Amino acid sequence: MTQTPVQRPGEDGTTETAEIPAVGTHRADLGPDATTVLPPVPPGTPDDELDGDDADGLAEADEEFRPRRAGWLGRGIVWALLAWLVLAYPVNVFSPFDVGVADVDIASRAVIFAIGGLSLNVLLGYAGQISLGHQAFVGLGAFTSAFIVTNLQLSFWFAVVAAAVLGAVQAVLLGLVSLRLTGLYFALVTLAYGAFAEQTLFGISALTGGEGGKPAPRPVGFESGYSYYYLCLGFLVLVLWLDWRLTRSKAGRALAALRENPRVASSYGINVRSYILVAFAVSGIFAGIAGSLTAHHDEIIVGSSFDFRLALLFVLMTVVGGLRNRVGVVIGSAFFALLEEGAFVEIVESVVTALGFAPHFFQNVLGLPGEFVSLVLGPILLLLTLTLYPGGIGQQVAPVRGWLTGGRFDRHAGEVKEVEVTDVRA
Amino acid sequence: MSVLEVEDLSIHFGGIKALQGVNLRAGEWEIVGIIGPNGAGKTTLFNCITGFYSPTAGSVRYRDKDVTRLPVHERTALGMGRTFQNVGLVKNASVSENLATAQHLQVSYDPWAGIAGAPSTFAEERRVAERSELILHLLDLADVAGERVADLPYGVLKRVEIATVLATDPDVLLLDEPGSGMGPEEAHALGDTLLSLRKEFGLTIVMIDHHVPLVTRVSDYVYCLNFGEVLAEGGPDEVRRHPEVVRAYLGEEPEEVLAG
Repeated sequence: MTQTPVQRPGEDGTTETAEIPAVGTHRADLGPDATTVLPPVPPGTPDDELDGDDADGLAEADEEFRPRRAGWLGRGIVWALLAWLVLAYPVNVFSPFDVGVADVDIASRAVIFAIGGLSLNVLLGYAGQISLGHQAFVGLGAFTSAFIVTNLQLSFWFAVVAAAVLGAVQAVLLGLVSLRLTGLYFALVTLAYGAFAEQTLFGISALTGGEGGKPAPRPVGFESGYSYYYLCLGFLVLVLWLDWRLTRSKAGRALAALRENPRVASSYGINVRSYILVAFAVSGIFAGIAGSLTAHHDEIIVGSSFDFRLALLFVLMTVVGGLRNRVGVVIGSAFFALLEEGAFVEIVESVVTALGFAPHFFQNVLGLPGEFVSLVLGPILLLLTLTLYPGGIGQQVAPVRGWLTGGRFDRHAGEVKEVEVTDVRA
Repeated sequence: MSVLEVEDLSIHFGGIKALQGVNLRAGEWEIVGIIGPNGAGKTTLFNCITGFYSPTAGSVRYRDKDVTRLPVHERTALGMGRTFQNVGLVKNASVSENLATAQHLQVSYDPWAGIAGAPSTFAEERRVAERSELILHLLDLADVAGERVADLPYGVLKRVEIATVLATDPDVLLLDEPGSGMGPEEAHALGDTLLSLRKEFGLTIVMIDHHVPLVTRVSDYVYCLNFGEVLAEGGPDEVRRHPEVVRAYLGEEPEEVLAG
């Protein structure tokens, strides 16, 4: 067979374009075999238009799906757009828009919220333990980091590690309570813990600066909003890695088992109590990192900014994002950050105004001041999630995600089929 | 030396005496059957042996070690593996995920190394997957490896459950009604499986079942429980013909019924 030059064009120094006529001739010669060889037709040739995903989707429904070149091209473009949106757009690279420092700060906030959301996801999603005091987890990390940098004059890198460690310690202490109390009673304890931290811990002036706030300068090299954004992204990547490995290793499996059925988990030899504490520790580490980044993001922090509303926001973004769904939680957190910072309202209003409605749509037409939009929209989204999409945003983006990773676009991908677990009679 | 020895075990829930002075012994390589009517205390006995309940009085010894007060997961680590009456599996996970979870104690790395993603953990994860595959193959379950547990029929789940117990690397198997929901032929096949498992893994098996033909075929020794007490014990045929056992199951002796 003379397929070799077809499969590897440009192998012997000739350019790819020089091979194209040869492809055409070979195809005619090869007959039925030609389809299996799949010659590398460069994009733009008429063949491409026939190679849509839908066409072969019907033909080979049962065979393993492989996207054609056009399919890969489409996926590549979407990937590139996503990469641009995350990596380049906020810092004005290859961008027709002008993103100011205030805007990139919102983007950094979105990344920090994503870390916070992943932190709560470990507890609520993996271990099935509710926390209504997550603002205290984050706040403790924030004040630890600010104190170390401002009062002890140590480096940010030391401070973020200390914040993570202290976050883990306080989470484990709370976790010890959860071993005694379950369900609603433990939720109340976390609620009380959050309120206690806000009113008491964060009010100790010597440590937190009291009402005046605590300064938390940004680390050397990351003073500008643009470079700080990349610092936050770097930490998000680290947290995503840890979270991914958690779910793919023995600790994650142990948590999945004990969340659903502690009896079965213990019969597998899993020490249920200590793995619940592992979940608290991991959540505390993530929250500590998020707190440290929050502190140096705001550059001055006050105790009152870590109030119950923040805890509620964490629960909202984790559940609306989709419990146990890493991508969903990240998107959900970013969305709620935009909502919280008013960026969402601004975007919607500018679109609505462009469509010919009165300016300040929420205020003037709906009678809802912009700063309350997140308070109203959050619970609505929560209800919609619980009733229509139990898998949250993670479920909604699952078809796109499957498509992006080289699968078919399946509308039903990601549908959550959690079963009610009847207690094993033991 | 006996593998498992239950001595004078009693457990009371308030005024209910669920078990009363039960003695049970399982020797190396033995298959011990436990029969008895509903509510006789069979599962409660298992719960005391495996650590889900702490007995009011008496002791559980495993290879001459007193384990009466040990928590469940430590008994699993010693080599006790058990199944549950209504399928003890993680229902929202796939069969192979359950097998991986059940290998918890065989996984060599520290949980924190796993979370950090240390390079050695990747190799160990591959070994875990291979072991799962091997066990599933052994029990003819290779074709359901990717299926979610909640989507599988009951009879298959009973076998999957045995596979997961094997994955915990047990020394003694405590099976709570492994044959429930199975027809006579399936139960017969299950008996063959149990006999071959004993041979291949050198297991001691204690099983509760209502399938009297299954129990009498595979067991070396049978206990019959009623109202929390051992009603009769001995060889399978001896127990089956024991007048007290017949009375417990049928209410009266068959002769009397016929005579009346």
